Amino acid sequence: MARNSWSRYSNRSFYLFVSPWVLGFLLLTAAPLAYAFGVSLTNFDGSSPRWRWVGFRNYVELFGDKEAWAALLRTVAYTGIAVPLSVAGALGLAVLLNRRLKAVGLWRTLFFLPSVVPVVAMAIMWKLVLNKDAGILNAILNSVGVKSISWLVDPMAFYALIILTLWGLGGGMVIMLAALQGVPAELEEAAIVDGANRWRVFRHITVPMISPVIFFQVVTGVIATFQIVVQPLLLAETNSIAGVGQVPQSTHLYMVQVYQEFFTSSRFGYGSAMLWVFFLVILAFTLLVQRSSRLWVHYEVDTDSDR
Amino acid sequence: MDGSARISRRRLLAGTTAAVGGVAAGGLLSGCNAGSSGSSGGTSGGGGEGTVTLTVMYNNNELTKEHIADFEAKNAGIKINFLQTDPTRLNAMLAAGNPPDFVRGAAVGSANVNARGLATDLTPYLEKSQVLKKDDLLGVNDSFRWDGGKIGQGAYYGIVKDWSQDATLWYSSQLLDQVKVPHLSDTEPIGYDELLAIGKKLTVKQGGKTKVYGVGLEWAWNLYAPLATMILQQGEELYNDDLTEASFTTAAARRAFAWYVDFAQAGVGPTSLDPLPDGADLSTFMAKRMAVTQDGYWYGGNFVKETALQGSIRMAPAPVMGDRRVSPTYAGQGAWIPAKSKHKDEAWKLMEYFMAGPPAEERAKSGWGLPALKSLLPKLPQDLPYQKQAYQVAQNELKFTGALPDSPYVTIDAWNIALDKYLQRVIKKQSTVDAACQGITDDINKLLKQGKEQIG
Repeated sequence: MARNSWSRYSNRSFYLFVSPWVLGFLLLTAAPLAYAFGVSLTNFDGSSPRWRWVGFRNYVELFGDKEAWAALLRTVAYTGIAVPLSVAGALGLAVLLNRRLKAVGLWRTLFFLPSVVPVVAMAIMWKLVLNKDAGILNAILNSVGVKSISWLVDPMAFYALIILTLWGLGGGMVIMLAALQGVPAELEEAAIVDGANRWRVFRHITVPMISPVIFFQVVTGVIATFQIVVQPLLLAETNSIAGVGQVPQSTHLYMVQVYQEFFTSSRFGYGSAMLWVFFLVILAFTLLVQRSSRLWVHYEVDTDSDR
Repeated sequence: MDGSARISRRRLLAGTTAAVGGVAAGGLLSGCNAGSSGSSGGTSGGGGEGTVTLTVMYNNNELTKEHIADFEAKNAGIKINFLQTDPTRLNAMLAAGNPPDFVRGAAVGSANVNARGLATDLTPYLEKSQVLKKDDLLGVNDSFRWDGGKIGQGAYYGIVKDWSQDATLWYSSQLLDQVKVPHLSDTEPIGYDELLAIGKKLTVKQGGKTKVYGVGLEWAWNLYAPLATMILQQGEELYNDDLTEASFTTAAARRAFAWYVDFAQAGVGPTSLDPLPDGADLSTFMAKRMAVTQDGYWYGGNFVKETALQGSIRMAPAPVMGDRRVSPTYAGQGAWIPAKSKHKDEAWKLMEYFMAGPPAEERAKSGWGLPALKSLLPKLPQDLPYQKQAYQVAQNELKFTGALPDSPYVTIDAWNIALDKYLQRVIKKQSTVDAACQGITDDINKLLKQGKEQIG
């Protein structure tokens, strides 16, 4: 009790203030996680009362499921490409727009705009752009003598998905821009006075100063990219053949496979097991990124581990 | 199984929808809130005392606002809460134990729903009804029947709204004339090999793009039904007697599969590797960029106002791949009443109204499919020359109606995914027909085993 005697507020105030979050976490995160774990131990089909406990059989089956592993590897590869490109692209745009340009506000708005367009509208737009016969991209390629490309089927569908992902990097750009504007000008000026060129200033002053924001972008980017499901479904040429069945192999990511198990195969139990394993995989990747941050993220204040 | 165990399981699963939705990072289950948004309302609710709110999941271009208003006017105690068809939402509502009272569904493939105990046995209603009578039902309704072991007999779990001989063809006589291909017979079916041969003649390619497709198969809609039809026409079986095992390695199955591979490799029509932008043949066919399309009688409804097209379109019998002439329906869309519906009597009233009342008569007269009642068959349109020709072809095809194989232990969607996956591999020359057919058999048998274990 003596240690807490300096406290300005009572414990009750603390618990009152955190209770909305705690309640939300328990009801909307912890409880669903527990439920999903329960379901993963059954062969529930999502609708009928005819189900039973199967223990860890779904998990055992998952370890031998080649399609699920292939989808997971594809997802890791996609994340490995999309996240660095998104972060680098957002940073590049932010650097460009952090200069004294004419109508800089307009430029910033224009680059930010795609990130507020609903994903469905964006996917429809790209489907039109990338359409083999009537799309503008193939029309441009045709005009320079390149044959039409089937962008929305294998293997090009993967790149179409990357394009769709990168189209929304305006959101990241705004965060990077805010970070860049927080970099003290005197540090950069001092480096220039000491003879550093623009690249060295950027590499050794700017990037370390904004590295906590880059770290934030990488962590949230990894988590979000791993979980992508809507974009591959929307980019598929049709929504028939059970929708998910029409998703090309190259964009058949892990969550698409999960969606297929739930809503095409009606295997809620197996799908839940897939989600639980995926949850652990994402957690592992997040911890890995977190651990790596000690090597490249610079904090202006002491971190917990430094204290 | 004791009662307490059952209760605890139910309590566990009651929250399943929310559970998976939460873990699936949002988005996965759009119907997580199904229980509330799709609530059956119950007596009173928003419609005043004594009013029952019937939750209906259907397509709004089939069960229209006008139909709903007319039904409500004729049934003062019933209000309809309309939901557009959404399989994911339906799944969520069923999982939450609060399904709609009236649901759109196809007869072909309904065995899976019926065997899982999700649908209401409509036989007692049929026996009492003065509007929908058993002896007026056309054979297509039998695909909604399930006796616990076999499809086509036993209780009725749904009623067909309309149907078509979906393997029949529509063609542009103008495009056939241009390449001097004789018109297809109105009565004698063309062989699949010949269809592919004329398809090659009719296909026009220019600068890496297809200017005119020879034949469209509506690849994106269904692969199982046309392939199962081809197998049926060769006199082979797809399933064993108790529908727990499939064999896609028979000579008939391999021939059918190989035909699809040849079709795709020849570039005669759209496939999942060379799809149409809108995923359906209609706009391409109407733009005279497709010579033949495999769509049923219902397709004719699209051309009623297309006066410029009417002179050059014709219907032809379903092609054959063997000695047995079969012209099945691939779906037979209709409706079923979930077993957990709280308002089955009211839902049956809507069934009577929609399947045998003014909307049914309206549909029959429009030519958007064949009616599912014998009494409505004479009402099919024959005013325009193309309608008369299609009517005659369809009438003749009735003699060759046959039911497609269906197992309660696997869905047609699962078949479609497996078929498309292996077709793509062979088309891209990453696999052989034999290996693919074995792969399909293995995949489907795995699902059949899981389904059997589930249903018992």
